[in-house]
Amino acid sequence: MILDRVVYGKVTLLNLIVVVVILVVAVLIAKILSIYLRRSLKEKLDKENLEVIRKVVYYGIIIIALFSVLPMLGINFSGLLVAGGIVGLAIGFASQRVVSNLISGLFLFIERPIRIGSAVTVSGISGVVEDIHIISTTIRTWDGFPVRIPNEQVFASNITNYVVNVARRFSYVIGIRYSDDAEKAMEIIKNLVEEHPLALKNPAPFLFVDELGESSVNIVVKVWTPVTEWFGVKAELLWKIKQALEKEGIEIPFPQSEVWFANELKRQEIKDSDQSSS
Amino acid sequence: MFGAYDIPLKIEQEGISLSVEKDGETLVYRRECADEKVEKTLLTGKGKLLIHPVEPLNKPKALTSNLLIEFDKTLMAAPKETSKIFLTFPVEIGVFISKGKSSDILDVMTLAGQKFTLYGDPKHGVICKYWKSEVFSALPSVNPIHEGVIGLDITNTTAKWLEVTQAVFNAQGMRIYYDDTLVSMKANMKIMGKVIAETDFIDSPLRKGMAKSLELYVSRKLQVVVPKFVMEAGL
Repeated sequence: MILDRVVYGKVTLLNLIVVVVILVVAVLIAKILSIYLRRSLKEKLDKENLEVIRKVVYYGIIIIALFSVLPMLGINFSGLLVAGGIVGLAIGFASQRVVSNLISGLFLFIERPIRIGSAVTVSGISGVVEDIHIISTTIRTWDGFPVRIPNEQVFASNITNYVVNVARRFSYVIGIRYSDDAEKAMEIIKNLVEEHPLALKNPAPFLFVDELGESSVNIVVKVWTPVTEWFGVKAELLWKIKQALEKEGIEIPFPQSEVWFANELKRQEIKDSDQSSS
Repeated sequence: MFGAYDIPLKIEQEGISLSVEKDGETLVYRRECADEKVEKTLLTGKGKLLIHPVEPLNKPKALTSNLLIEFDKTLMAAPKETSKIFLTFPVEIGVFISKGKSSDILDVMTLAGQKFTLYGDPKHGVICKYWKSEVFSALPSVNPIHEGVIGLDITNTTAKWLEVTQAVFNAQGMRIYYDDTLVSMKANMKIMGKVIAETDFIDSPLRKGMAKSLELYVSRKLQVVVPKFVMEAGL
């Protein structure tokens, strides 16, 4: 019978078909269970934990199925252990990055420096964490583009998580002319910050003259806001500060330089020649 | 201003302009208050408008369910004693549309100042709506459109004199009562250590004859335990 035909060793065509069927069924079961888990636990668990459970179940089923069909292919584990030395070395070299990413992914799940939905900067890429896979992490940039970063890179790089705390601070440097009243300017800015409902009362806002610059007196303003609101407050307050300062005649100067002419007479001569020509 | 109104209606009071007018088969709700304008079309021809004071945590944004009231002066709580004080809180006016037994929030407005603050540190703390209040020993007279009054029982369970400068309350337990001249709540503050206290609300009015407000922050779970706020970051 054709199904009893030996393909290699003691493995027959029937064995191969059974192996393929078991693996296909395992993948199907894993997918169905994964979808079922997503639907049934959607409202009971947060998205991040749900994804972890889903992936553990999905890959767990496939790995168990794979190990259960290996003997059918004539691969026994004692043989694997003997051959494992050489093959493992070869596979190890070949899949070094994959394994590294996988292990980094596991550490990311354990340490949880970032969560799905967090606003972060990872490896210089800023955006919202869209998904944390076992091998890679996807970040949706502020412009809406998904960027896939290998977990090894995520784990090894500096991670800035903007939403891990409930409040955060932002700063402005506001330059005014030397001829303007810096105390008055600070009073105007302070009042505007205090009037803004989302600029937190505590920790208190902080402002001071930070630098006597080349063209301006630089006032530093530091404001704490709820972490979810900081960008809107920052944009709104800066515009209000500009308008309020201008209303009081306090201007934000352009960079300027004083130029000294060595010979003032030359200018006089041109003026004289202009008069004579007219 | 608080109470139930038949539609159509028009109210002009202390800078608040509110109206519900018929527009064919529908109703149009318009409101102006503190430079803010709201207009909504109600897909019904009849109903009632309920105007109640609500938990003061919705304006300008419902960012938190905690209200921090800072006292204008430091209080010294005597050991093993309970004292009653009165504080003010900002009033937010909730407009509900009602038909039969069903009612839902339509609009929230306020004439009170708005500010947020952080209680605790940025990592473990909580964002709170901020209000600074005078401390009164007797029920103060305030404008109920702007401010309400909390009757607060402060119990110092420790054996030491302790300073109290603020109280934090969670909206889940707020029970607001109102009449023509007063909006009120009753609360407890139980001091359990130098930096730890627990606050909760009592479901009763400050004086007789007050009506109970509709609540926006209703706990979904059965309230076997009264919702409390544990102040762990200082008094």
